[in-house]
Amino acid sequence: MRTSVVGFGLVALVLGYAAPASAQWVVTDARRVGLGGLSLGRSSGLVRYNPAYRAVPAEADRRGQPKVTIPIPLGIIQFLHDHPHLSHDPAFNPDSSGFNPVLVVNTFLNLPLFLEVKQAPTPTNDVVFGIGRDSLRVNLGQAAQIVPQDQFGISGSSRPLDPGIEIKGVRIGVMGWLHDEVQLQLGDTLLGFLADSQPARPRTTYNVLAHAIVQGGFAPTISYAGRIAGDTASGFYVGGAVHYYLGVGYFRSDGSAGFVTGDSIFTGPNPVTPDGRTLTQYSKPGNALGHGVGGDVGVAWVSGPLELGLGVNDIGATITWSDTRQDSAFYRDSTVAKNGPTVSYSRPVGMHVETQTKLPVTYIANLAYTVGKTVLGADILHTGVGTVVHVGGEQRLGVFAVRGGIARDQRKRLEFGWGGGLRFGGLGLDVGFWTHTNSLSNARAITMATSLSIY
Amino acid sequence: MRALGLGVTVLAAIAVGCGGGHAIFNVDVYSFMAPKDDTVPYIVPPLSGVSVASPWQKISLPGAGSSLVDSIVILGTDSIHNASGGPGTIGLQLVMTADTTPGAPRDTALTVVPKPVSGAQTVPDTVRGRLRPGVDTLFTKSTIWAQVIAQGNNSSATALQGKMVLQSLTLTVVLTAKIF
Repeated sequence: MRTSVVGFGLVALVLGYAAPASAQWVVTDARRVGLGGLSLGRSSGLVRYNPAYRAVPAEADRRGQPKVTIPIPLGIIQFLHDHPHLSHDPAFNPDSSGFNPVLVVNTFLNLPLFLEVKQAPTPTNDVVFGIGRDSLRVNLGQAAQIVPQDQFGISGSSRPLDPGIEIKGVRIGVMGWLHDEVQLQLGDTLLGFLADSQPARPRTTYNVLAHAIVQGGFAPTISYAGRIAGDTASGFYVGGAVHYYLGVGYFRSDGSAGFVTGDSIFTGPNPVTPDGRTLTQYSKPGNALGHGVGGDVGVAWVSGPLELGLGVNDIGATITWSDTRQDSAFYRDSTVAKNGPTVSYSRPVGMHVETQTKLPVTYIANLAYTVGKTVLGADILHTGVGTVVHVGGEQRLGVFAVRGGIARDQRKRLEFGWGGGLRFGGLGLDVGFWTHTNSLSNARAITMATSLSIY
Repeated sequence: MRALGLGVTVLAAIAVGCGGGHAIFNVDVYSFMAPKDDTVPYIVPPLSGVSVASPWQKISLPGAGSSLVDSIVILGTDSIHNASGGPGTIGLQLVMTADTTPGAPRDTALTVVPKPVSGAQTVPDTVRGRLRPGVDTLFTKSTIWAQVIAQGNNSSATALQGKMVLQSLTLTVVLTAKIF
């Protein structure tokens, strides 16, 4: 019980802060870090999210795009220096009196690849509990700011494989697709208790609402990308794809977990009763395939130094699953107070039921302007659960380059990036700094990224 | 109770673990007392001393596991309603234990300086102070028991009698949360 509660708390915190982490800063290139997260190369999300970019010629030289980027993991060196015996480090050992769950969560949220030059200050305050015969109240102080007010979680929509053949812009292939999503939201009563210091009430449910889905399969795809106007120096490109989605399997669960207070908060035979309920729906691999049709569209316009693009993915992608099983599960443990039996069951609601799932619509809009040795750019990326905006620029000065950028992350916070680079022939060394608020804090930390580039 | 207590303790540990703060539990002990149990009647025979105890009061706590108790401060009010006799003194003592079975160890958590009383009078009193460090470990448990004792000393030739009425009693427990 203890482990599960602690684990649940940590997982909730991790998920609550992993959302911005997953979408914003999984970056190993110090150049991109210095640009505030802006991506200018063809290897970036442009090709993934905008089918027209398949036809836009790569101009590596124009933007100094390296062939290979190798991160220099100074953060790992720092981490190993600080924690030389990780397996015996009390801070990471739950059995030790020195175990620090906050450090564990922060380490997970901010993988120590790069050097953390400024740690995010964590809230330092007393937490006050008021306890009476029939009352419980908590004041978390500044720590209440990290209680997630809105829905939080992680989500991703990826295309891990996309083999195919292309003839004159027409491409036929089979695309793998995978969509996963875990969303949690504190119930109103729990949120009020934690964030607003509302007193606990008897006969009240305190819970977390949960939604999770994972689905995957493959999709025979026919697509086109080509220039319909202009030439290589200045042209208008369009792209589109039609996917026939074949779902191999999916699992979806919607429910809640928490506890119900008894007639009295601290007295009575059963002060709290754990309570959980969920409806799960799944179609296992081997069942009938899911079916659906969807598409991508994109346009790109390149005119001398200016480049614009817009791409939208998975439009109308609704998958129909003809052989779904639905189960409801209920759990209520009243044995915690040694009073009453455990009540739990899992029973089928429907067999061979037809259900539908959707893939999130994602889009990207990008702008780049190159003049001489100056590159400016911006993009807006929506991945289904949030929108990230990047604006950045680079100025080359001989063998040097200076960069700067700004980003608005999924939590609608502004983050900043800056840095520079040094290039000798085919080899470059880049340094980038970026701010982030992925830690268990609302204050910004600063990370320094370093990487080698081969041109 | 254990689930609630553990939830509260985890909450305290995570929140406090964010910095160098403490978890502070303000426990309204008086609210746990049955209405009639806040009164301790006393009769002290001439030229003698007696102690009269209230029934044991169960106090439910979230349970602090292996947390370290830094300090416990008690604040309360009571009044001594002396009906007759005296002069003499009436004092209050707070006793705590984790187990009320006979023979189990009890701990005198606080002794209040006795107040002089004589004849028919009402003497207000304040209960204030730090609990004896020895009782700290009791507050890491989810259930403790408390008992109020009226200590009377009568130096006169007539019996001292009346009642001690507790009006409020709050404990402030400051601890460093540690759940593992």
